[in-house]
Amino acid sequence: MITARRFFARSEPWVLAAIVILSLLIQARSGQFFTGNNLVDLARAFIVPGLLSIGCMMVIVSGGIDVSFTAVAALAMYITDKILLQSGYEGNVILAYAMSAGFGLLMGALNGFLIAFLRLPTLVVTLGTGSLFTGLMFGAFSASASDVPPAIVAHGKETLFTAVNSDLGLSSNMPSQILILVGMLFLAFLLLRYTMLGRGIYAIGGDEAAAERAGFNVRAIKMFLYCLVGVLAGITGISRISMMAYADPSTFQGMELTVIAAVVLGGTRVTGGLGTLTGTILGIALMMILANSLILIGIPTYWSRAFTGAVIIIGTGVTAHQIASTHRSQRDLKKT
Amino acid sequence: MKKILTVTLGLLLCVCIAAPLFGQTYDAAKFKSSKPQSQWKIALVPKDATNAWFVRMEQGVKRYAADTKINVFQKGPPKTDAAMQAQVIEDMIAQGVDAICVVPVDIAALEPVLGQALSKGIVVIAHEGSSLENILFDIEAFSNEGLGQALMQVLAKSMGEKGSYTTMVGNVTNASHNEWADAAVAYQKTKYPNMALLAAEPRVEIMDNLDTAYQRAKELFKKYPTLKGILGTSSLSTPGTARAIDELGLKGKAFVTSVGMPNENKPYLKSGTVQAVMLWDSAEAGYAMLAAAVAVLKGEKIANGINLKAKGWESMQFAPGSKKVLLGKSWVNITKDNVDSFGF
Repeated sequence: MITARRFFARSEPWVLAAIVILSLLIQARSGQFFTGNNLVDLARAFIVPGLLSIGCMMVIVSGGIDVSFTAVAALAMYITDKILLQSGYEGNVILAYAMSAGFGLLMGALNGFLIAFLRLPTLVVTLGTGSLFTGLMFGAFSASASDVPPAIVAHGKETLFTAVNSDLGLSSNMPSQILILVGMLFLAFLLLRYTMLGRGIYAIGGDEAAAERAGFNVRAIKMFLYCLVGVLAGITGISRISMMAYADPSTFQGMELTVIAAVVLGGTRVTGGLGTLTGTILGIALMMILANSLILIGIPTYWSRAFTGAVIIIGTGVTAHQIASTHRSQRDLKKT
Repeated sequence: MKKILTVTLGLLLCVCIAAPLFGQTYDAAKFKSSKPQSQWKIALVPKDATNAWFVRMEQGVKRYAADTKINVFQKGPPKTDAAMQAQVIEDMIAQGVDAICVVPVDIAALEPVLGQALSKGIVVIAHEGSSLENILFDIEAFSNEGLGQALMQVLAKSMGEKGSYTTMVGNVTNASHNEWADAAVAYQKTKYPNMALLAAEPRVEIMDNLDTAYQRAKELFKKYPTLKGILGTSSLSTPGTARAIDELGLKGKAFVTSVGMPNENKPYLKSGTVQAVMLWDSAEAGYAMLAAAVAVLKGEKIANGINLKAKGWESMQFAPGSKKVLLGKSWVNITKDNVDSFGF
């Protein structure tokens, strides 16, 4: 049983509360938050950061940090896009996803090798490889914004349903890519909850030496983890360009910081061992609602960055404070 | 005594550091190169190496190289980022180039590094940076006022000269974008009394990102149901907003125009969501910047009527009251009828 005290010592309820308060504020200021078309717009904005956050959260839980996943996503989708365009491919979009995931896997494997086998610090490695992948994209492939092949254009036009706001006569389409996000979240849930591999990710984040003694193959788990992040990034790349029908190589730049901030906001402990998918989803939801509602709230453009910064500081501050006070109370318990 | 000396030295140091920050006039004649033309090296630094606009500009750079056999090349930051652009310029200074042509991301961020270039005798020519201090000349395809007015004419025509509109810029720190938008608004106030700038949200920022333009446009139309028009500046504002207009079901009720590239806007021009976007050819602008830099290196006098040898740039005139800013007459309306004729 989870007691009320333990429940509120977690960060999810606080993030959820922040989302509810923010939603009510937006609703009060615009009357537009709880309309079908607005919710669809928000869900659409949620897809790409949501996909990226899954891998990002697992890496942080394992005690590492990855800042290269946006570079992986950009390079994987860009190479895929160029190959398919040049070969005049007209078939199914599944090949695009598979290729991009494959390129992502290769790049993730490089991260994994450097981190798991050479035991280099994760931040330094991923800063380096992230820069390398971006550099390759602009140097070796001299990347520039590009069209996308017909399969990806068609994929971008797939619509699950259309939400119509009859008051204003506005409509919004729910893109089919949301299904990919739901599918990936489900697989990640199964992995983390029911497999030894998933438990191992938590174990090495909690205490690597202890995990090793308990029989976990730490190297293999880390290798798997960074490969998985690469695959997810590759898939995200294709989702992104299909929704805009336009492959812009700099479309992901800067997004890694938003995603990491959201994951931490969702209660994932930066030092590893602790974190949930639910918290991550809530963290991303809060960040995306905020980023896409400043006009609805009526915040002038010149103030939007200050407002966003303040919410992140307050949000992560509350989370960190909660976790710190839990530690304090545990320590106090030991003393008595 | 020691104290006075320290204070004096300290003040002197402050003056030295601060000097490049104050408005200086540089004598272009002193930048005449003593080296033979074959040893010249000229770099063009765009805002973003990947943006289609600057990829097109590089074609002009390559054409200039082929026409003149002078060593000219384009090198830009991998994304639109003021700090990264300053870094590229520092690299160019370190490489010992003779001239730097620059399309600035952020004026304030570049002043120190451009001042440094000038103090080393490097010719600095800007484009879309008319308020820069540390340059010899800034060349513009047209006056910012002229483009702002032309954009407003297009939007007003689409909107039937009535209704509420707002402006959308790449970044709120982008000088040219804001000058175009200001000029457009001023022009609307004198010419189109039945149109009104949206007072609550007069300027929206899209961070030079297509997806952000789409999201911001959706928000605007949800929050302000009477909003009828968006006057964009960044070339990404029209395709992003047009996608939002189509999806929201506002085609024929809401309108957008901006500077824009033919290919990116073709589907929306053909379908009728967008009536026209404006363009000057960035390849010609790149060519003209290099021609201006070479004119200075050759010691030619830069005066009214100078020919920068690119289309629309044949007879440059100084902006009223300026000795640095030269204006050309190089722009074109892109509509469904001529969109196919550009080849890019």
